[in-house]
Amino acid sequence: MAELALMSSEGKPVIGKEELRRLSAELGETEAGLAWRLAALTVYRNEPLPSRVAHLWRYTDPAHLLPGEPLPAAMPPRDLPAAVLPDDGPAVLLVPGRAPELNAAARASGLTVAPLLHDDGDAELLGTASPSAAGFFASLNSAAWNAGVAVYAPAGKALAEPLRLLVPAFAETTLPRVLVVAGRGAELTVVEEHFGGRDGHRVIGTTELLVGQNAHVRHVLVERWDEGVSGFLAVRARIERDGTYLGVNASLGGDRLKLETGAELVGKGASSELIGVVLGGGAQRFDHHTFHRHVAGDTRSNIDFKVALTEKSRSSYTGLIRIEEGAPRSEAFQENRNLLLSDSARADTIPELEILTDDVSCSHGATAAPIDPEQVFYLQTRGIPRGEAVRLVVRGFVETTLAQVPESVRAGLEALVTARLATLGEGV
Amino acid sequence: MSDHKQPLFSCKNLRAFIRSGDDETEIVKGADLEIMAGQKHALMGPNGSGKSTLAAALMGHPAYRVEGEIFLNGEPVHGLEPHERARLGMFLGFQYPVAVPGVSVANFLRAAMGARRGQEVPVREFRQLMTEGFERLGVRKDFAARYLNDGFSGGEKKRLEILQMLLLKPTFALLDETDSGLDIDALKIVSEGVNLASAPDNAILLVTHYQRILDYVKPDVVHVFMDGRIVRTGGPELAVELEARGYDWIAGETSAAARS
Ligand SMILES: Nc1ncnc2c1ncn2[C@@H]1O[C@H](COP(=O)(O)OP(=O)(O)O)[C@@H](O)[C@H]1O
Ligand SMILES: [Mg+2]
Repeated sequence: MAELALMSSEGKPVIGKEELRRLSAELGETEAGLAWRLAALTVYRNEPLPSRVAHLWRYTDPAHLLPGEPLPAAMPPRDLPAAVLPDDGPAVLLVPGRAPELNAAARASGLTVAPLLHDDGDAELLGTASPSAAGFFASLNSAAWNAGVAVYAPAGKALAEPLRLLVPAFAETTLPRVLVVAGRGAELTVVEEHFGGRDGHRVIGTTELLVGQNAHVRHVLVERWDEGVSGFLAVRARIERDGTYLGVNASLGGDRLKLETGAELVGKGASSELIGVVLGGGAQRFDHHTFHRHVAGDTRSNIDFKVALTEKSRSSYTGLIRIEEGAPRSEAFQENRNLLLSDSARADTIPELEILTDDVSCSHGATAAPIDPEQVFYLQTRGIPRGEAVRLVVRGFVETTLAQVPESVRAGLEALVTARLATLGEGV
Repeated sequence: MSDHKQPLFSCKNLRAFIRSGDDETEIVKGADLEIMAGQKHALMGPNGSGKSTLAAALMGHPAYRVEGEIFLNGEPVHGLEPHERARLGMFLGFQYPVAVPGVSVANFLRAAMGARRGQEVPVREFRQLMTEGFERLGVRKDFAARYLNDGFSGGEKKRLEILQMLLLKPTFALLDETDSGLDIDALKIVSEGVNLASAPDNAILLVTHYQRILDYVKPDVVHVFMDGRIVRTGGPELAVELEARGYDWIAGETSAAARS
């Protein structure tokens, strides 16, 4: 067999059609499923590698996020620990080249949790919130994803317990693809946890959430990769009339994370809330982009993103609010606050407003400041050592944001934040 | 028993400087204090004379370069970090208590008590002590869950400072204008707290601008502090005289003394 080039001349990973067919067959997808992938492959081949001139790529070199092995990569990791799947509460394990693995609670949850593109309905819905043409990494994931799951909450179904999706970065290349569909009036919380991995491992993921009429969906994205892991994650929601969406992002681990998260409000009365907690240390790089696109009127969106950085870590945040012509009486708010705990930490924050209609209410705010030494001194005078005092202030800084998260997931998030704070280096 | 002649708290030739660019400004220009166990002293002086700077410097605030010596029970503390001074029993009631959003009063108090004791305070015991303290100082119960000093009124902040003093049981408490900005009811409650805290084995330095609180808390010794120095020390009658004649009277006398 002829040597296949892994990278095109411009540095794009090459994805072969035959290899895609094989992956699709191994995963047991339908004809329509394969056709969906091949259509995405065409899009991918026309997508150039993001240029650093494009403003969303000013802060991250896409080369740092690309897999180092040929695509599509579908080898299940060899060193997958046996007991990754917990038995308390509904949980699903996503591993490259395998069908999603459900625990008993997930099977009994009343949701349909199934391998992606096994049902022709999937092919119709996949790409609704995150089209393959949404960008280079979106198209790459669409063509070559290797760990997929479809979650359907039927109309009127309300699941109190969060559904956990566990996405370890144990394989060299993990390309998770998640489709969540909440039918009319359904209520659902999905906690997507990215963890584990080792040096050079890459994760390129796409999650789509289709929030039906009057449905209430919460999505919590936890990124706590081990050192050496980098990736690009996208979470995109589409909200119908009177639906509500809450997207929570906790970005804590890994070397580099580029995250795009947001929602399109396509039905009247829809609302979306995005919350972010980012804790950086060492030489970590975080690049977050949020978007809220108001397509229908009488819609509401809010963003509260908190970033605390120490040592040489860096964060950039770009936030786009777009209000379309046909979306009067929309309300959109956005705030990004950055706490800089060392002189060499750096935060950039760029809000963008594109408002194409009158009669809207919008605001945005951004701050980047060092910790207030008077707060630290106050706590010190109560016997609390400096490092602990700083951690307490940082905990408080993010707590005012986490306080808005529902009980069912808040305690878990607070524990993760506390654990991460404990490992942040001096300066904290 | 310790030597009766040894002060519980003392500082010698204490000077505090602030840096501004390459320059330094001296704010506290050599202060000496000796406070015996069981005593309450008042430090009175006009606004801007450096009282808060002295208090912060005694506690080890990093914004100041400090010269001189500070002793607690005869042990030097001037080389210690603020939290170490606190653990040894020093306490500063702030003139302007700082808000720490996101940190609840209860979590903060429990962390502070644990730090002072050197071990965690059991939850039940803590709850009980906090509730008692709230009742004593007329603080509503729901303050436990509120963020520390965040959106508190001036009076609420000061009550919480006194509550902390009662819970942490310092051996030496510096109270920086805990009386200012209080209405008469709050002033009475705060004064009761101070009197309650005062014991034969501790000492209190009340830093104040007005004589008012001294109607409720009887100081053993009164110091007048002006332009970074203690310019006069006397008994309680000095406070009364100050109230009647103002600070200018002393300022006139001390500058006359300096000229002669
Ligand atoms: N950190 C600081 N930076 C600049 N000026 C300060 C600082 N601390 C104190 N000062 C100055 O020192 C003087 C004394 O202030 P302060 O100690 O607050 O007086 P008091 O408490 O007696 O009213 C004031 O002129 C004040 O502006
Ligand atoms: Mg003052």
